[in-house]
Amino acid sequence: MSKIKAVLIDLSGTLHIDNDPTPGAVAALTKLQATPGLKLRYVTNTTNESKRALMERLTNIGFMDVTEDKVFTSLSAARTLLENQELRAYFLVDKNAMEDFKGISEEDPNAVVVGLAPEEFAYENLNKAMRLLHNDAKLIAIHKARYYQRKDGRALGPGPFVAALEYASDVQATVVGKPSEKFFLSAIAEFGCSPQECVMIGDDVRDDVGGAQAAGMHGILVKTGKYREGDESKISPSPFRVVDNFAEAVEVIQTML
Amino acid sequence: MAAYFLDRKIKAVILDITGVLKESGRAINGSVDAVNRLLSSGLQVRFCTNETTVTRSELVRELQTLGFNVENVVVFPPIPAMCKILKERKLRPHLLVHPDAVSDFAEVDQNEPNCVVIGDATQQFTYENVNKAFQCLMRLDQPLLFSLGKGKYYQEHGELVLDAGAYMAALEYATDVKAQVVGKPSSIFFETVLQDACVSASEAVMVGDDIVSDIGGAQACGMAGVLVRTGKFRPRDENHKDVKPDAIVDNLAQFVDTLLSTLK
Repeated sequence: MSKIKAVLIDLSGTLHIDNDPTPGAVAALTKLQATPGLKLRYVTNTTNESKRALMERLTNIGFMDVTEDKVFTSLSAARTLLENQELRAYFLVDKNAMEDFKGISEEDPNAVVVGLAPEEFAYENLNKAMRLLHNDAKLIAIHKARYYQRKDGRALGPGPFVAALEYASDVQATVVGKPSEKFFLSAIAEFGCSPQECVMIGDDVRDDVGGAQAAGMHGILVKTGKYREGDESKISPSPFRVVDNFAEAVEVIQTML
Repeated sequence: MAAYFLDRKIKAVILDITGVLKESGRAINGSVDAVNRLLSSGLQVRFCTNETTVTRSELVRELQTLGFNVENVVVFPPIPAMCKILKERKLRPHLLVHPDAVSDFAEVDQNEPNCVVIGDATQQFTYENVNKAFQCLMRLDQPLLFSLGKGKYYQEHGELVLDAGAYMAALEYATDVKAQVVGKPSSIFFETVLQDACVSASEAVMVGDDIVSDIGGAQACGMAGVLVRTGKFRPRDENHKDVKPDAIVDNLAQFVDTLLSTLK
């Protein structure tokens, strides 16, 4: 097995849950950051928080040295796609995330961008999106997660609403966040290492672990956040490792350097 | 009494309602006369709709107001078929349906739900309502999802709006549960209509504006399927990848003219 040169780390559910770090996560991250030659990227499908808001939150929780250049989000990936194809967008995206789309035209849209935006998923807005898709607009999913963990339990993610629009308009969405292979490869593009030399740590068996493994990386599933018993058997090949939490994942990585 | 269509002897005509007879509260051009001629032709006529935003009697009343002589016709909407299944299988539904359809489920026990029934809930398709249905399914050891039809969209006031099928697809994706469809295009639903008309599938023709639910569903049962260019019809439906209608007509009136000219 190749030695590990880079680690991709999911945020919500893996490093922290709401405003609390997962057990031992702050110390474990510090240890990982201090490992000579090891590159780190924080990769997240969070679509309702801008990069700046994400970093502020991590700092407030107690995580040190997480800087903007090390955070790679599905919003950044969506923005890159819109710019490269010069698209004008109708956004079903949370207001707080819109600062990452500043400057993208919303006039006469020829693309529909869907993020995690419970407040935007009203019947009328989805109707408008469906009509645009019938007029040949592109469908861009910031990610396609089935659900996320809310304080009152699991709640619908953007994925089901993307699936509804795909079904109603016979248009296939381009998924820019996890688990898209391109997302994982873009996250390590600057490192100059191969996917086989990377580990991804996350709590979502399909989007974090399955996606990373499909891109050629090692996937470690943590049993925190949205993890539910039996999740590890939902993907094939199964996760490279299944561990209790992020701190334990870091111990596994120490043996792979 | 029989008519002829594509070398088939036709004894029964099954009509979709929304998009074929009427749209957004108005009769479609020529359809009142066409339906009334069909009803007095001696052919069996049945109405088969996935409409779940009004009760059956309200629907008939609306058609009568528009001039259709439908006081004695038989209309097959999905909700009565759904209620029958719920009672037979002792299922207690969590409902995600239009407020006007709730009373149709009055006789069904809805305490401690052990399945979800989704219909065309229109404005009630809010995030929180869809989420409640999702959370209900996730609580069940053996999640059961029923969908009243699986239409993608329909036309309302000149614009396309999402139909129940889109939200069915959302819940299927979220929960990995495959929905059981009650209503068109389910074969069981069409067979009930054929039995009521006492005809075999090959003696019946279905007329509708939904390429998948009306035409595809009818053809899968052995009926002929005629697509009208009204309602939700879109030009690309003429080249659908899976479903090839037996005929495509501008509207119901055109089809009825042709069919009745062969009447013997």
